[in-house]
Amino acid sequence: MILAAGFLPVDSFNVLVLAAVFILVAVGLHFTFGMLNVVNLVHGELILIGAYTAFQIQQETGNVLLGMALAPLVAGMVGGAMERGVLRFLYDRPLDSLLATFGLSVIIRQVVQLIFSPNPRTLRDPIGGSFVVSGFNIPWWRLVIVIATVVVVVGVSLLLSRTSFGLHARATVVNPGLAETMGVNTGLVRAGLFAIGSAIAGLAGAMLAPISTLNPQFGLLFLVNSFLVVILGGKGSLRGLILAGVVLGGSLAVLQFVISTVLAQIIVLAIAIVGVRVRPLLGQARQERKGRRPRPLSL
Amino acid sequence: MTAVLTVQGLSAGYGRTIVLRDVSFEVGEGEVACIMGRNGAGKTTLLRSLMGVLPKTGTVRILDADVSHWPGHRINAAGMVWVTQEDSVFPGLTVREHLYIALGGEGVDEGIEAAASLFPVLGERLGQEAQTLSGGERKMLGLAQALIVKPRVVLMDEPTEGVAPVLVEGLIPAIAAVARKAAVVLVEQNIDTALALGSKAHVLERGAIVESGNVQELHDRGVLEQRLAL
Repeated sequence: MILAAGFLPVDSFNVLVLAAVFILVAVGLHFTFGMLNVVNLVHGELILIGAYTAFQIQQETGNVLLGMALAPLVAGMVGGAMERGVLRFLYDRPLDSLLATFGLSVIIRQVVQLIFSPNPRTLRDPIGGSFVVSGFNIPWWRLVIVIATVVVVVGVSLLLSRTSFGLHARATVVNPGLAETMGVNTGLVRAGLFAIGSAIAGLAGAMLAPISTLNPQFGLLFLVNSFLVVILGGKGSLRGLILAGVVLGGSLAVLQFVISTVLAQIIVLAIAIVGVRVRPLLGQARQERKGRRPRPLSL
Repeated sequence: MTAVLTVQGLSAGYGRTIVLRDVSFEVGEGEVACIMGRNGAGKTTLLRSLMGVLPKTGTVRILDADVSHWPGHRINAAGMVWVTQEDSVFPGLTVREHLYIALGGEGVDEGIEAAASLFPVLGERLGQEAQTLSGGERKMLGLAQALIVKPRVVLMDEPTEGVAPVLVEGLIPAIAAVARKAAVVLVEQNIDTALALGSKAHVLERGAIVESGNVQELHDRGVLEQRLAL
């Protein structure tokens, strides 16, 4: 039906871009929610911080790329400070951590509004220019977003599977008590995970701002989708997250082609809800459903 | 003999429930102090508090260092390791990765070689996820993690509990070997194991030490059998 309706290579590229966007905004949440189990409602504001950091540096120096390089640093430091200052006391109190992240998200949004006003801002496309696919001009920046998403996912995968920090992180996530008594500084590992997740959120915000309109509500655009991707993928599974990003982002792009954007978003939301209810793609939730989850550990 | 581990006036519990009351003892290098008592006497709570998992009052020293209020990872770095009763492992992590964590990333090749020579079955399963090992093999992994780091103090919580007799025969000499170079606190309900490994015994009842002395002497006087209601 789609082909019959004239689905062109350019539309295939849009599927790729939207899937990349879904994945990029969710990778940070993989650390803070998927691994640390914090229902991190401030994730959208970490995306916002990244975007406004890039914007401010663009205004000060005229160099957007410098802003994009510094955005993850700023968001990572803010996230690390939130973890050390507030969230580390709340790991065993999920409701309190949810309220705390909600409160922090409101505070950050209001502060951004006070500093930058509610007026929409524009972050310049750092490289400009476009290439032509089936007669349509496609900005090079969209291709950069796809490539950056691949680089981030590969980097995160290597970090978690091939480094000492990654090993300590995986141990801390599944059994913090045992990890601590085996010499792992679990407090530091958790702070590191939260800071890295926040930094990736900041990077996502900075990279996506040029293809969107920047205002204090900018982060909220991505919050729900990020949670949907992580939950549908199966909490704690990076492979599941990628698969869910492709399913949800791809579905949205295809549906937007054949029906209205609003209806497409409703259908994608329904796909996610049904998917989560029936079959998380990978990760902890799926293991629990299959009865594979090992018995709770008592440490 | 210089005490490697000194415990003075230790009290600990869960919330408002006090489980351990004013516990004091010392363990020197090459000594195995058996902590014995019925279920619920506070034996495992004692190990948890020594390892920094539970808040406590009182003093715990490793040689000259007061580790009473240190977090678990610092206590581990000071030379104290814990072989848990639950043969706990990290789901998703391989045997090799467990040994890597125990070694703190240092001397990994030598450490893994040492573990494989202590327990050849582990050497054959380095790439296998630890949660898929049998209960006895997990016990071996727990012991290997403790033994390959050359610890000063080893806390062991019923290391032979639930292990097939044929495997226990292999575990006892391994524990005895580490005990020659470290101070060992062994929680044990099995009198035969305590006699095979222990030098001193401390009997816990309702969180307090009610009997202390040489394991063999306490056994000969029938104290252990009486206190453990055997």
